Amino acid sequence: MSNIIEIKKISKIFKIKEKEKGLIGSLKSIIKPKYKIKKAVNNLSLTVEKGEIIAFIGPNGAGKSTTIKMLTGILCPTKGEAVVAGINPAKQRKKLAYKIGTVFGQKEQLWTHLTPYDNFKFFGAIYDLKNYEIEKRIKELNDTLELEEFINTPVRNLSLGQRIRCEIAASLIHKPEILFLDEPTIGLDPVVKENIRVLIKRMNKEFGTTIFLTSHDVGDIEKLCKRVVIINDGKVVLDDSMENLKYHYLNNKIIEVKMKEKVNLSDEDGITILKDKGYNLKLSIDVAKKSVADVIKLLNTDKIIDINISNEPLENIISNIYKGNKK
Amino acid sequence: MRKYLYIFKSKVMSNLQYVFDLAGGMIGYFLHIFVFVYLYRYLYMGEKDIINGYSLNQMIWYVIITELIWCILGGRKLCYKISKDVKDGNISYNINKPYSYIGYVFFEHLGDIFIKGIIFTIFGMIIGFLFIGSFPNHSILSIIVVIISCILAMFISILLIMIIGLFAFYIEDSNPFYWLYSKVILVLGTLLPIEYFPTVVQGILKYLPSYVVAYGPAKLFVSFSVNNTIKILVAQVIYLFISYLLCVLIYKKGVKKLNVNGG
Repeated sequence: MSNIIEIKKISKIFKIKEKEKGLIGSLKSIIKPKYKIKKAVNNLSLTVEKGEIIAFIGPNGAGKSTTIKMLTGILCPTKGEAVVAGINPAKQRKKLAYKIGTVFGQKEQLWTHLTPYDNFKFFGAIYDLKNYEIEKRIKELNDTLELEEFINTPVRNLSLGQRIRCEIAASLIHKPEILFLDEPTIGLDPVVKENIRVLIKRMNKEFGTTIFLTSHDVGDIEKLCKRVVIINDGKVVLDDSMENLKYHYLNNKIIEVKMKEKVNLSDEDGITILKDKGYNLKLSIDVAKKSVADVIKLLNTDKIIDINISNEPLENIISNIYKGNKK
Repeated sequence: MRKYLYIFKSKVMSNLQYVFDLAGGMIGYFLHIFVFVYLYRYLYMGEKDIINGYSLNQMIWYVIITELIWCILGGRKLCYKISKDVKDGNISYNINKPYSYIGYVFFEHLGDIFIKGIIFTIFGMIIGFLFIGSFPNHSILSIIVVIISCILAMFISILLIMIIGLFAFYIEDSNPFYWLYSKVILVLGTLLPIEYFPTVVQGILKYLPSYVVAYGPAKLFVSFSVNNTIKILVAQVIYLFISYLLCVLIYKKGVKKLNVNGG
């Protein structure tokens, strides 16, 4: 398969004005402004294949948005080069616009006083589509994203979930090859979230759209993406398949036990006590160091009333990777 | 071009929801005219029927037209929108769309004021007729020229205000500049025609934006002449061209400075 996004060692450096404390500091900064150099993205390289759904995640301030902004032509990289759908975003921003779609969960693109149908007509015209093409496309999107029920209701009267569906539809009107989704499920309830995920998947399958997703919602990442790229401090710290991520980082098991008697256990190599309420214990086990069987033996099997062994949640795995990178 | 007409059309459609909001603006407009009608009647109470080349009726029509252009324009809203777009980084979401931001805002604003323009114009003509009882002499051709001149005045005003709004790329607050601009237009063209100023000052006034966005179209409406038409339309076309170029230049330079963090 061919690569649709190729990022070759891009960096983005911001010059941020710094001000000392108080009034005197403010006055000083007028006369002699001081600047701090911030490397938002640092020598980042990445390739994405056509048709992939990739999760691009990282803690706040890691450089995700800056990277997306460079890939969509909003910002120019300080160093390096990116090629998106065969186009250099820094040089041919307008040409690229026809090949990509963007949805920012926190930013409305639709005209709130118009109905979704009028909005789609508007966006179609913006992307130079002919009237019959727009109508055909609206029908397709209507079928895939199930918009029929509210296609003629002004956007301001839609629920957040319906609005996001329309946002996604509007960004797909010109059949983009890549869709950048920036936190598409933010603020949605679990049922609507699940709906949106199903629709995103369907869209990827039916239209072959490559999806570049950023989200803080682990559910989005786990359910949608086969590949995860984690960035921190402007660098890629992990680029792996979802399966590998889970497999490699699943050394940790969580054991919750209810005992007949009080047990005295202390932290030792491979065992971390998360909660100790006498009869109830919650432990985290590093199976590379201590097997589950060893731990159960330590607990004395006769005295166990109930036991629950589970995997470390993906959320913890990811936050451990974030923290690990900070050290 | 089709996409810009669509932007215009969508804004008109979206604005149809607010037609009743115009009532407040119409009352304000009426009060302005009312005050000036009495002010000018007082001014013309002496022996002279003509002051600085204008009769009382001409002066009233003059202020009806200049105030009409100013009220329809909605400059403060436009200036605020652009500087807010720049400050919030909202402008970045327009950068990766296949249209020019300048064109987008221009046609969006035209769509914003289109309905208002039609309603206010009819309202203004009715007020004028009620106060004065007659319209200035016009042929169909001359009235078309006046309308063209009014539209050009609108276009130039929008571009000039966009330039002021785009100052937000360089300074924290572009409002003081808008304030200054609005006062120049108000004092040096809207309330009084330039013939009311000393001859030396008149030479300067002919080069100020107030000449093309207020004085010009109103002058053509109250005393139409071929000679004035040529002078005013040429000045308007030059102003339109230069203000468009400046607008594009400031935008292009400003966008390079754009730093969008986080989000």
